[in-house]
Amino acid sequence: MDTSTLQIIMSIIHYFFIVFAAVAIASYVILAIISVVETIEYMKKNSFVNYKEISTSTFSPSISIIAPAYNESLNIVENVRSLLSSHYVNYDVIIVNDGSKDDSLSKLIEAYDLIRIDHYINEHIKTKPLRNGVYKSTNPAFDKLTVVDKENGGKADALNMGLNISKNKYVACIDVDCLLLEDALQKLVKPFLEATDTKVIAAGGVIRIANSCIVKDGKLLEINFPKKWLEQGQILEYLRAFLLGRMAWSRLNGLLVISGAFGLFDKKIAIKVGGYDTNTVGEDMEIIVRMRRYMEDQKQKYKVAYIPDPLCWTEAPDNYKTFISQRNRWTRGTIETLKKHRKIGFNPKYKALGLISYPYWFFFERMAPIIEVAGIIYFGILVALDQVRWDYAFAFIVLAYLFSVLFSIVAIVSEELTYHQYKKKSIGRRLVLIAFLEPFVNHPTILYSAIKGNIDYYFYKKIEWGHMTRKGMTQG
Amino acid sequence: MNENLHLLESSNDSSPIIVLSWWLSGIFFLIIVLLILYVKRLRNHLRVNAKIEAKYQEEYESCLVTYLYSGNEEEAFSPEQLLIISELKESIVDPFKRKIIISTLLKLRNEISGEMGESIDKLFVKMGLLRYSLAKLRDKKWDVIAIGIRELTQFKIMGVNKLILNNINHPTKEVRKEMQLYLVHLYAFKGLEFLNVLETPLSEWDQIQLLEILQLNNDSQIADIKPWLKSSNDSVVNFTLKLAKLYNQFEAKDELIKLLNHKSEEVRINTISALSHLNILEAKNILKNSFNERSLEEQITFLKMMENVHENSDKPFLLEHMHHENFEIKSLVMEILKSINFEESDLYEVETKKTITA
Amino acid sequence: MSNPKKIVLAEDNSVLSLLLKFRLEKEGYKLLIAVDGKQAIELIEEHDPELILTDIMMPFVSGLEVISHVRNKLNLQTPIIVFSSAGQEEIVLKAFDLGATDFMSKPFSPHELVIRVKRLLI
Repeated sequence: MDTSTLQIIMSIIHYFFIVFAAVAIASYVILAIISVVETIEYMKKNSFVNYKEISTSTFSPSISIIAPAYNESLNIVENVRSLLSSHYVNYDVIIVNDGSKDDSLSKLIEAYDLIRIDHYINEHIKTKPLRNGVYKSTNPAFDKLTVVDKENGGKADALNMGLNISKNKYVACIDVDCLLLEDALQKLVKPFLEATDTKVIAAGGVIRIANSCIVKDGKLLEINFPKKWLEQGQILEYLRAFLLGRMAWSRLNGLLVISGAFGLFDKKIAIKVGGYDTNTVGEDMEIIVRMRRYMEDQKQKYKVAYIPDPLCWTEAPDNYKTFISQRNRWTRGTIETLKKHRKIGFNPKYKALGLISYPYWFFFERMAPIIEVAGIIYFGILVALDQVRWDYAFAFIVLAYLFSVLFSIVAIVSEELTYHQYKKKSIGRRLVLIAFLEPFVNHPTILYSAIKGNIDYYFYKKIEWGHMTRKGMTQG
Repeated sequence: MNENLHLLESSNDSSPIIVLSWWLSGIFFLIIVLLILYVKRLRNHLRVNAKIEAKYQEEYESCLVTYLYSGNEEEAFSPEQLLIISELKESIVDPFKRKIIISTLLKLRNEISGEMGESIDKLFVKMGLLRYSLAKLRDKKWDVIAIGIRELTQFKIMGVNKLILNNINHPTKEVRKEMQLYLVHLYAFKGLEFLNVLETPLSEWDQIQLLEILQLNNDSQIADIKPWLKSSNDSVVNFTLKLAKLYNQFEAKDELIKLLNHKSEEVRINTISALSHLNILEAKNILKNSFNERSLEEQITFLKMMENVHENSDKPFLLEHMHHENFEIKSLVMEILKSINFEESDLYEVETKKTITA
Repeated sequence: MSNPKKIVLAEDNSVLSLLLKFRLEKEGYKLLIAVDGKQAIELIEEHDPELILTDIMMPFVSGLEVISHVRNKLNLQTPIIVFSSAGQEEIVLKAFDLGATDFMSKPFSPHELVIRVKRLLI
């Protein structure tokens, strides 16, 4: 190979990286702008909404909260209490005990005066069978509660059992340890009720990180900022994703994921598409894509809605081991979902879904870590061969770094202007500080987990993944 | 050779790309610094405001309660009340304080009725807050107009219909909605007359709000709902079906039965459920005879109706559908058969179990 | 009257509870205010009031649970008046099932509440 061919190849590689980075940055900026515009509009519309009328009206549609639980004995009684205290009249709570090996069930029976009842289950979706059966409370104060004890089948299977049991129009699928705000249901059901000619098939809201917050009796008493950089970095990451990303996707009607931690679904459609997929670790993303695909195939006007209000608080991983395994799982979930539905990708028949959402997810979520690592390796080779023009490298690295910091700072500004949840004094300084540190602290770990996820997906597919590993939210 | 392998072609130190990226970095850095200063100021501002707000809120709450208890029977406003009003009047000049005062009044207004409720409405006007609400109606921003209308609604300000009706064709949906809520809040069924001419769909959210407001008004004269049942706007028909249920409108029986053949499935389903709520037995035979032509959803709604109004003579019909392929229909049929016939109920129990475990 | 009758009021709207406190204290009762159901239960256990006023929709522990706790766990026959929102017949029925004495639908007239309280505390 003579030098000129090598030169051409290298130029191609350089241009590829530059174009990729430019398109990525451009799309972040565009999404952020759309998000900001949409959020302002949303805040205006909701500044005078009276949610009370909806929450107390008997004409409001019925909702079932479905919460799968696996070995949650420690907090289950308190968690269920918190789910039972929602300010919405027409709802019930279905706890699916997914073959727990601990004393979750007996604790629930004791705390809520449960007795076993005969309950025929309409098996719309095939699930693992019941173990001890279905329980209801003898105390009228808890008659919203149903506890289902079934054999272990994983989170998706447990959710499917809940879908089979629910008699209500909408289902809210939630992680049992999620702290649901009292007005979450009425806020999230609003998009369904407001739509007239478009059918809303699912809706999601903002998930916040509860680490270090003081929670008492299932109520959030005090919002604190955690000490560890890992946790702080995740808070920043969630702020960026929820405030500067999702709102735009909802506007473009291209939302591909609703957090597994909390989302509201039209039950009929969720059942029609066959419920959650038990063969993927990314069931929360997969079901949305499948529901969208179904609606596109039916040629019905539909929407996946998103509202920027914080609705639910959840614990995020506080150590690197859990964090890596969570991100590893998200990566595999994304790969699996995109692969299963590759038919919609770049397919004009699926409009925005096929031409915008899918490609974005493919390139900037699925491929980004791989391309980034390839870039780092390439850079390493150049360094080894002493082929780097440091003036270029330096300028680009500084530029990329400052852009990512700027993006985080914009997210912080948006948060302060909208919900201002972190009211305590020194938190502002620490948020800004972590915006500068995050690229060095969390980002490399996320990159590592994503690569590990890819490797696990392609080389260790057969490994049985933990039964019911909890999941905070899916990346976005 | 090194020279040949440099990144992008250029031997010049001040390559435009490098210059551009340093410029961009500089701009980014500047924006970052400015935004950080802004965040700092904003957070301080919000924190201070929250503190002041809490203080004022507490002050105004006790002020309001004192006001409400210092009235007397003889005068419209007692001397103590007039004193409080003049104090508050000074505060409302400040928009920040005004907002807190309004929200304090509302916080209580929404929870109480009777003399005290009216006393709050009077206070609202006497303090001069009405002027500000009316000024909002003339604002250019739609959200300000909507808030203005809402305030007039909540404090039951009558006699400004004309001003509010100016917005009947306002381009923003939310403003038109607030206007409708105003009319219904103050004039109950008479305010619903807009349904006669409504062409845009009434969302479920709107319907719920209207129904809730109507229910607050206990002594209202119920309007004749029949014309709305004939509306060409399906959402109006659906809304009226809810009214029929809520206010037990037996009078509209004939119109309701006609709706069983409406072109919209949703209307037909809601009609069945309304007829069932009103226990109109005539409808049962019609539905029994047309059962097979109806959609699954209609069939299920009908069987749910039958659960409450079944008779012995329904047995042949039920037996006919005992082996329906749809699970829900089958189990509803079984349940009804069970309750019709207690002696044979064991038999059906066995049969139900079989179909379910099958 | 050296020993005023005690009333526990559970209500999360601060102005409303202030208003009712003023009004009922003028009638010679002693008011204990709780902002949620949990606090209400604590106050009831500690003071053993003569009457309980509770809203149904409250943070964390609902009014229904308060009734259930008083009747079933504490085995008290203290009269209980519940406040509900308009149109919540079903919940009101449930409250009566659990042993509520009376109910008032919001928005209500404070004057009427006083009349009912007096009737129950004769």
